[in-house]
Amino acid sequence: MNRLEKIRNFCIVAHIDHGKSTLADRLIELTGSLAKRDMQDQLLDSMELERERGITIKLTPTRMLYEFEGETYTLNLIDTPGHVDFTYEVSRSLTACEGAILIVDASQGVEAQTLANAYLAIDNNLEILPVINKIDLPSARPDEVKAEIEDIVGVPAMHAPCISAKDGTNIDQVLEMIVKEFPSPKGDENGKLKCLIFDSYYDNFKGAICLIRVFDGKVKVGDKIKMMQTGKVFDVTEVGIFTPTAKPTEYLLAGDVGYLAGSIKTISDVAVGDTITHADAPTDCALSGYKKVQPVVFCGIFTVDGAKYNDLKDALEKLKLNDASLEYQPEVSDALGFGFRCGFLGLLHLEIITERIEREFNLDIITTAPGVFYNVHKTNGEMVVISNPSNLPSPVEIEYIEEPVVKASLFTPPEYVGAIMELCQDKRGIYKDLTYLDKTRVRVDYILPLGEIIYDFFDSLKSRTKGYASFDYEMAGFEKSELVRVDILLNGDKCDALSLIVHKDKAYSRGRAIAEKLKKIIPRQLFEVPIQAAIGNKIIARETISAMRKDVLAKCYGGDISRKRKLLEKQKEGKKKMRQIGSVEIPSEAFMSILKLDDDK
Amino acid sequence: MIGIYVHVPFCESKCIYCDFASFVCGEQKIYFDCLRQEIEKCEQKGQKVDTIYFGGGTPSVVCEKYIADTLGYIRKNFDVSKNSEITIECNPNSASLEKLKFYRSIGITRVSFGVQSLNDKVLKFLGRKHNKKEAISAIQYAKKVGFENISADLIVGLPNVSSSMLCSHAKKLVDAGVTHISSYMLQVEEGTPLFKMCTENPQLLPSEEECAESFSKLVKTLQQCGFVQYEVSNFAREGNESKHNLKYWSGENYLGFGLSATSTFDNKRWTNGKTFKSYYNGEREVELLGNREKIEEKIMLGLRCYLGFKLEEIEKLGYKLTSNKNFQTLLEKGVIYESEGKIHINPKFYSVNNQIITKLLP
Repeated sequence: MNRLEKIRNFCIVAHIDHGKSTLADRLIELTGSLAKRDMQDQLLDSMELERERGITIKLTPTRMLYEFEGETYTLNLIDTPGHVDFTYEVSRSLTACEGAILIVDASQGVEAQTLANAYLAIDNNLEILPVINKIDLPSARPDEVKAEIEDIVGVPAMHAPCISAKDGTNIDQVLEMIVKEFPSPKGDENGKLKCLIFDSYYDNFKGAICLIRVFDGKVKVGDKIKMMQTGKVFDVTEVGIFTPTAKPTEYLLAGDVGYLAGSIKTISDVAVGDTITHADAPTDCALSGYKKVQPVVFCGIFTVDGAKYNDLKDALEKLKLNDASLEYQPEVSDALGFGFRCGFLGLLHLEIITERIEREFNLDIITTAPGVFYNVHKTNGEMVVISNPSNLPSPVEIEYIEEPVVKASLFTPPEYVGAIMELCQDKRGIYKDLTYLDKTRVRVDYILPLGEIIYDFFDSLKSRTKGYASFDYEMAGFEKSELVRVDILLNGDKCDALSLIVHKDKAYSRGRAIAEKLKKIIPRQLFEVPIQAAIGNKIIARETISAMRKDVLAKCYGGDISRKRKLLEKQKEGKKKMRQIGSVEIPSEAFMSILKLDDDK
Repeated sequence: MIGIYVHVPFCESKCIYCDFASFVCGEQKIYFDCLRQEIEKCEQKGQKVDTIYFGGGTPSVVCEKYIADTLGYIRKNFDVSKNSEITIECNPNSASLEKLKFYRSIGITRVSFGVQSLNDKVLKFLGRKHNKKEAISAIQYAKKVGFENISADLIVGLPNVSSSMLCSHAKKLVDAGVTHISSYMLQVEEGTPLFKMCTENPQLLPSEEECAESFSKLVKTLQQCGFVQYEVSNFAREGNESKHNLKYWSGENYLGFGLSATSTFDNKRWTNGKTFKSYYNGEREVELLGNREKIEEKIMLGLRCYLGFKLEEIEKLGYKLTSNKNFQTLLEKGVIYESEGKIHINPKFYSVNNQIITKLLP
C-alpha cells in the first residue's frame, strides 16, 4: 500500500448542537492522540469563548493514527465552524478533505444547517458518511432520522453508525467507516507544490501561521513560497502537524494536512482560500474557489471611557491578526466621540468580537445598533456605499437606494408554517417556495432583506415556533427599496449614534417603539427630557422623561460624612458608564437596546 | 473653634426603624466614667470650643447628673466659649419641666425633640413612647423655662401620613414654638424590624413620588412660616440654625466622644467602637483624608447647605472645577450660582443635590 492510500482527510459537519465537537473529542481519545489526562472537554474549541458557548469559531485540524487490519492509517480531522456566519470558512475547509461525517441528532433530525452543510460537502465532491448521534437520549428515533436523511439530504443512511458521542458508544464503528468509506487523497508528491490555505491564525513568536492541505508536491523548511492571490513571497521557517498541539516536522507531502510558518508579519497576507506554491517553480493553476470574504453586518464600536480609544484600536488590531474577516475603520460620532465602524460576517461574529474585546482586553465598550450596507444611487449618477446611517445623503440627492437581500430557507414542523409566513411577510419577505420534506417537516424559502434579519428575526422565529424552526441564509444580491433614516433627538439634540435606516412603512412604528424604549432606559435627569423620533424635520414620535423629583434625604452628620462621600463616589463611578448627549446622560446599553424592541411586548 | 459631640447610647425602647448605636440596657455609670476618661485623655485637649451637642440614643433618659458632669469635664478640659451653643436631644416623654429647667441651669441653650410625627397611631406604629399631646407640651415647657432655640424632628415618608397631614404637623410644631425643624426621609435599614415589615409588605411605605410630593409641600409650608431651608433637610428661623451641625457642613474640626462617635481633626477622621465592649477597649477606626477626599467633601457638604464652598479652596487642593463641563452647564441653567467666590446650590434643587454633586466631583 502506498503512503497516500493510508491517509484519510475528513471533516465533521452538522447543525449547531448536534454534537460535532464531542465526536471529535471521542475520536481523538480513542486513537490515543492525547493522553486521557490531557483531555479537556471539546479539545478543538480552543478559545475560552468557544468552549463556553459550545460553538466552534476557529478551525483546528488534528492528526490521529489508527490501526486497522494491520495497517496504520493517518486520519486528519478538520473541524469546521457550524454557524451560518462562517459558511465561507466551512467551504474552504471542506475543500481540504475527501470525506465528511454528517452528524444528525437522533431526536431532532435534519435541520437547516444539516442540509446547508451537507450540500456544501456534496458541492465539494466529498464522500458523505451520515452518523446518528445522541442515541442515549430517550427521545432518540434513529430509524426515522435515517429515513429523513435519505429523503431530505439524499444520501444513503441505512448503515449509518448510531452513536452516543457523549457516552462513547460505537465510536469504533465511525473510525472503521472513515477508513473504509472515505477515499484516500490523490496527488503527486513529485509534482509542483500546490497547497490550500484553509485557515490562519497569528502567533506572537512565529507570525501568521497558515493551516494548509498539500495537494501536490512537498514543502519543507527553507523553501521559498509564494501566495498566488496576494503574490507575496516568504521563506518557510517551520512546517508541522497538529496532534492536536502543533508539532514541527521535516516536511509536508501531497495529501498531508498541517501548518506552515514563514515569518509572515501581517495576517492579511494570508488569505483563506489562497494557494501556496514554490516561488521558483510555481504550479500552473491555483486551486479554484478563492473568494474575498465581505462583511455584511456593521456597527460602531466606541469605548465607554473616551480616553481609552487607543486601547480599543490596539484590541481591534490584535483581533484582526487572528481574524482576517474582521474589518474596521475609524469613525467619529458627535455623541460617542472617536471609535470604529466595524464590519462582520454576521451577527454571531459581531457578538463574538465585541465579547472578546470586553473579555480579553478588559474594555467597556458601546456598540451602536448593527446595520447593513446600502448602495445609494445619487441623482448625479454617483453610487455610494453607506454602512453608517449618519452618512446617508439628504433625500433630495438620492435617486434610489438598494439594500442587500438574502435567500432564506426555514425548516419547520408544518403547524408553524402560518406563523413563519406571517413573520416573513412582516419582515418584508418575498415568498419563493414551500416544500413538504416529509410528514413532519416543511421547508419554506423566502427572499428577505438582510437588514430585517439582523433586527430580532432569529428571536422572533424561535419564539413563534417554540424553538422548532431552524434557519439558514445566503446572500442574494441587492433590491431597490424605499428606505429612510430615522433620527432620534434627545432634548432637541440629534444623537447620531441612535440613527437608523429603515423601510418607510416601518419608520413610524419603529420610531415610536424606540422613543418608548429610551424612555424606559434613560434615567430621570435634573430637567425634563423630550425624546423625539424624526424623519428629516418631521417629528414622528415623542415621549418625555419627567424631571427627577428627589434623592433620598438622609442625614449627614459627623459619622455619616465618609459613608456619604463613598456613596457619591460610587454613583459617580456608575455615571462613567453613561454617555452625555448634550445635557442628557444616557446609559451605554441604550445604544444597543433599540434593537431589542420586541422583548417587552 | 471646634465642636464637640457626646454620644449617649441609651434609649427607653428601640424604634422600629432605628439602626443607631443605642441600647435599652447597659450600665450608665460605667459608660459615663469611660466617657470622662476619654475626654481627659484627649490629644486635642485645650482647643477652643463653641458648640457642644448631646445626641443619641436619647440623652434625656439618663440621669441629669451624668449630663451635668460630662459637661463639666468638657469645660474643664477645653476652652469652652461663653456663648457656646449647647444642644441636647430629648424625647418628649422624658423631658419633664424639671428636667428641662435643670438643663437650662447647667448652661444648655438648645433642645432638639424627637417628635417624628404628631399622629398618635403613627407614633405607636414607629414604637415611639410619646403621643401628640406630650410632644406639644414638651415644646411648651422648653419655651417656658427659657429655651429660645427649640428644634423638632419630623419624618417624611411615613405610612398613612398624607402630605397635608405632614404640613399640618409642621405648622402645629411651629405654633407650639419650635424655631428649627429637621426633616428626613424614613429610611429602611437592613436588620431593623421595619426592614422585615417592608419585605413582607412591599406596599407598606408610600412611593418615591408621594414622598417627593410630601417633601416639596413641607418645604413650602415651612417657608410660609418664615423658616429657611438652610440645609437639604434642615429648616430654621434666621439665627436659629444649628451652629453645631453647620460645623460638619463647613468642614470644620469636631471631636466626638462616646460609643460610635466620630471625630474629624485636620487630616484624620476616626470613629469609636460601636459596641460597649469595643468602645471600652478603646477600639477606633481611623481614616486619613487626602486632598481628593477633602475636595469631594467640600463640594458635597457645601452643596447640601446654604454655605456653599469656596472655588479657590478647591483649586488650592488641586481640582480645577471650572474646567468641568458640567460646572458650566449647571451654572448656565441656574442650578448652582456663584457669589463672592463661593459656589452655592439654588435651594430649588436641594432635593436632587446628589445628582448635582456627582456631576461636579473630580
